Amino acid sequence: MNLYIISLKDLIDLLSRLQPEYSIFVPYRKGDRIQFAPFDPAREREMEFGGVRQTQPIKSFISPSREIVVDGCRKDPRPLFIAGVKGCDLQSLKLQDHVFGSGDVEDPFYTRKRKEAFIMASDCAYALETCFCLAMDGAPYPRKEFDICLSPAGSYLIVEIGGPKGEELVKKYKTFFKAPSRQDAEARDKSRQSVANQVSEFIRQRRTPDIKAVRGAVKASHDNTTMWEDLSSTCVECGACNLACPTCHCFLLYDERSARDGDRRVKIWDSCLYKTFARVAGGANPRRHLYERLRNRFDKKFAFFPEVLDYFACTGCGRCIEACPGDIDIREVLKGAVSGKWEKPPHR
Amino acid sequence: MKNPYAYIEAETLKTVDETSNIKTFTFKPRGEIGFRAGQFMEVTIPGIGEAPYTPSSNHDHKETLDFTIMSAGRVTKLMHGLKPGAIVGLRGPYGKGYPLHEFKGKEIYIVGGGVGLAPLRALLYALFNDANDYRKIIVKYGSRSPKDIVYKNEIETWKRHGSHVDIQVSVDIGDETWKGNVGLVTTILKKDGLDISNAVSIVCGPPIMMKFVTFKLLELGFKDSQIYLSMEKNMSCGVGKCGHCRIGPYYACKDGPVFTYDKIKDLPNIWE
Repeated sequence: MNLYIISLKDLIDLLSRLQPEYSIFVPYRKGDRIQFAPFDPAREREMEFGGVRQTQPIKSFISPSREIVVDGCRKDPRPLFIAGVKGCDLQSLKLQDHVFGSGDVEDPFYTRKRKEAFIMASDCAYALETCFCLAMDGAPYPRKEFDICLSPAGSYLIVEIGGPKGEELVKKYKTFFKAPSRQDAEARDKSRQSVANQVSEFIRQRRTPDIKAVRGAVKASHDNTTMWEDLSSTCVECGACNLACPTCHCFLLYDERSARDGDRRVKIWDSCLYKTFARVAGGANPRRHLYERLRNRFDKKFAFFPEVLDYFACTGCGRCIEACPGDIDIREVLKGAVSGKWEKPPHR
Repeated sequence: MKNPYAYIEAETLKTVDETSNIKTFTFKPRGEIGFRAGQFMEVTIPGIGEAPYTPSSNHDHKETLDFTIMSAGRVTKLMHGLKPGAIVGLRGPYGKGYPLHEFKGKEIYIVGGGVGLAPLRALLYALFNDANDYRKIIVKYGSRSPKDIVYKNEIETWKRHGSHVDIQVSVDIGDETWKGNVGLVTTILKKDGLDISNAVSIVCGPPIMMKFVTFKLLELGFKDSQIYLSMEKNMSCGVGKCGHCRIGPYYACKDGPVFTYDKIKDLPNIWE
């Protein structure tokens, strides 16, 4: 394995050097949260390359929440550079690539950003109580889909190259990258294991089922109307779970007319919880009831995608748990589906 | 790389009032765009919005396209205000369309309801292009009242395509001028000397109509795989990305919108 080390100061210098070429986003600590924002070397002290998954999912950059798709407007021509991407978000790229970057028709906006983007991943330094990546075949450290990966180790970071783009960067800026000692690699393994143990402990405490147990369970629980009705009883149809989710990809195309910019077509994130999501103008609606729409969200993740892509469309990032004002907890939903018996979760 | 969300402009040449809330529009595209019967397109009112429709014209006529549209929602209401010369947008075609090659040599049993006759008109014209390749072409059309029948002046001319072509219309509620059958379309679905083992049925109409027509067809002896249903959903992007038109493991926009009943019968809420 090709490992290097880089000091935090050199990393900031490197990002500053890259700034003219790339549109760079890095993670900043904000209270108990970590959020992506444009790179600003003056805010070095707020940056947190370790930490844990950020508030925004990676789709925010590659498939943004609002994107003009028809008109002549100029877009930032610089490729994206996203620093600090966690394992759970990297795992979501397979789905986004499948939807937007493959098949008979590609989304050229997505494909351009995705192909050009430089992904600087990083290890989680700790886990949140809502983390369950290990149950969804993920890990709290990057394993693939990155150009380079950073593992914080005190005042410096251990660097792993994940692909040709990463290799090129390290070659081009080789003065920033130093050889690691054997202890560095060992320290990295140890720290990864300790975060993984933390996630495992949260999974154990919650009795969160893993993919093996979940396979087929959501489909099998389709007719358990009591469970879905009960689960949806606190849903306020806000769509926060969809927006926060790194794998949710549904969008709405709408047209707008403005005196200044003329006509344009905008692609915005949509939510399958909204009553109008599947409704047609004639009035027919295959998911008239809220419980059907909530069930649909799980059906799409745990029945549709396993069937068409052999992929469970949940990376265990836990953002939907944090985002839901109705306290609907995906882990409890999966538990209910797996057990076949529905009991209200203890926190209600 | 082609932008799948962009449309090409088309000029409105003609509008025909079919009923009080259904119009047929003839558009002349300013660029290359064609379709096969059963495929659909997104029609845009620039700056306002777009919605999916299946063209109702002959797919061999490349110069212009017809769309028969009921005023039902935000976009269709504005469409009904289009005047000749008005510019719209078209993108597509999307979906698989009717598998005409599978219909060759067969008895074709077409059942339409209301404005659902629109895609079936495109199908009929496609069948009439090679009318003798099909053993029989039978159309059963149901409409709410005589005033709600679309293509009134054309329906009679369809019969002229051969002695093996038959058209029958039924209305739910008759009036003093109506001499034909009164009752739901299912009341005119009969064996009619059909060789059902060598027949296919193609159905398009409101969901509730398709449901009962399907049950009736099964009763007549059609197999699940012989029944072709237009599962029109809220197709938005048209290319299987936006998620709106999912039915079980399929997207209506790219895997349909025409499905044989065997493919969908076990999926939830297909008739809603």
